[in-house]
Amino acid sequence: MLSLPEGNPVKDAGLAMAKRIGACQQVEHQIVVDTNTIYTHPHLEEVRVDMAGFKVESRPVELVTSVGSCIGICLYDSIRKCGGLAHIMLPQSSLGLQEPLPGKYADTAVDALVKGIREITKSENRLSAKIAGGANMFASTLANGLDIGAKNIRATKEALERHRIRLISEDVGGSHGRRISFNLASGIIIVRLHNGEIRKL
Amino acid sequence: MINTQERIEVASSAVQEDSEIDLGILLELGSIGAGHAATSLSDILQETITISVPKIHTLQPHLLPGFYDLHDRPTTAIYLHLNEKYGMDILLTFEEMEARKIAAMMNMCGSVEELDPAMETSALQELGNILIGSFLTSISDFIGLTLLPSTPETVTDGFDAILDNFLIKQSIDSESALVFETRFMRNGTDAKCILIIFPTQELKNLLVEKSKSMMGI
Repeated sequence: MLSLPEGNPVKDAGLAMAKRIGACQQVEHQIVVDTNTIYTHPHLEEVRVDMAGFKVESRPVELVTSVGSCIGICLYDSIRKCGGLAHIMLPQSSLGLQEPLPGKYADTAVDALVKGIREITKSENRLSAKIAGGANMFASTLANGLDIGAKNIRATKEALERHRIRLISEDVGGSHGRRISFNLASGIIIVRLHNGEIRKL
Repeated sequence: MINTQERIEVASSAVQEDSEIDLGILLELGSIGAGHAATSLSDILQETITISVPKIHTLQPHLLPGFYDLHDRPTTAIYLHLNEKYGMDILLTFEEMEARKIAAMMNMCGSVEELDPAMETSALQELGNILIGSFLTSISDFIGLTLLPSTPETVTDGFDAILDNFLIKQSIDSESALVFETRFMRNGTDAKCILIIFPTQELKNLLVEKSKSMMGI
């Protein structure tokens, strides 16, 4: 919960939104905002990013994807409010079969997102990254040395290093799937687990 | 049992495209297996089980989540695989609540609330053993090839998150995944259980060759 003084013009836009979705209430002389409701409220248009795909947007939408061993990588320019999400399946394009699917591989997905954001903003960008995913949901695949989740995490971080993009937050590994919602208005990412747990990146 | 030389010859033809005749043979094999699996499920639950007409899909692995369009639907999956020699992932998926209802019935519980989590997992693994065992045994009997599954694992999560583990494996091996699919319905309800099978190219060729030799083609 966040308490804000009444009549602060800087906060007016945010408060208007909070009131619209019922995330705030007046308690005596303070307006109390339930930040959890704001973070999780689906007030933006949802745009789904399919497996092996990527999307770049400058509109205030929510980019959404669901991952298990795959990685959802989000790049964001917080000044221009422009960003993109890729659903990475495999660590390297050399593992694939000559497909025109840049979002599918860690090495090509970062290239594609950077290029896509630059094309929209028509300028060099100060980008930051957040990643989620890379789980291993079946013990037997781990026993067989097929921990593709861990390989995806490593390859994604290496690709970010090559582009000198700072990784500011991550929620990776484990044995559960994740639903990733990337809010392009705020840059906040909400990761929902099947058990109802919500993590904010 | 197939001998080593035969296996090598079958494996070497792995690059061939699946012909319509081959897909028809695989579909027929799958239908035999699905029929037996449905009978087993009916015996366990003492209820009428109907199955959809089995289908075979050949499509790029990454397109499969969009094809099913279930995304974050709460799903319980029972996973088994064949041993390394033949290679095949088998996924029996239920809507989460349907899996709990079936586990409760198997445990003689009056409702899902009475169900102990450990007993639920155990019942679902047993269900997987019986259903998949029945599916594979009927195919084995038909073509004279021993197909032994692994110990079952269960997981409950979103549909896409469960599926992506298998699609990654498929996309490493091949440009297109061949997916055998059938749906089981209990008491005429909507399809709540989907059996999805990802055979390797080697196993596909082996099954087709053995079936052709059985039928004298």
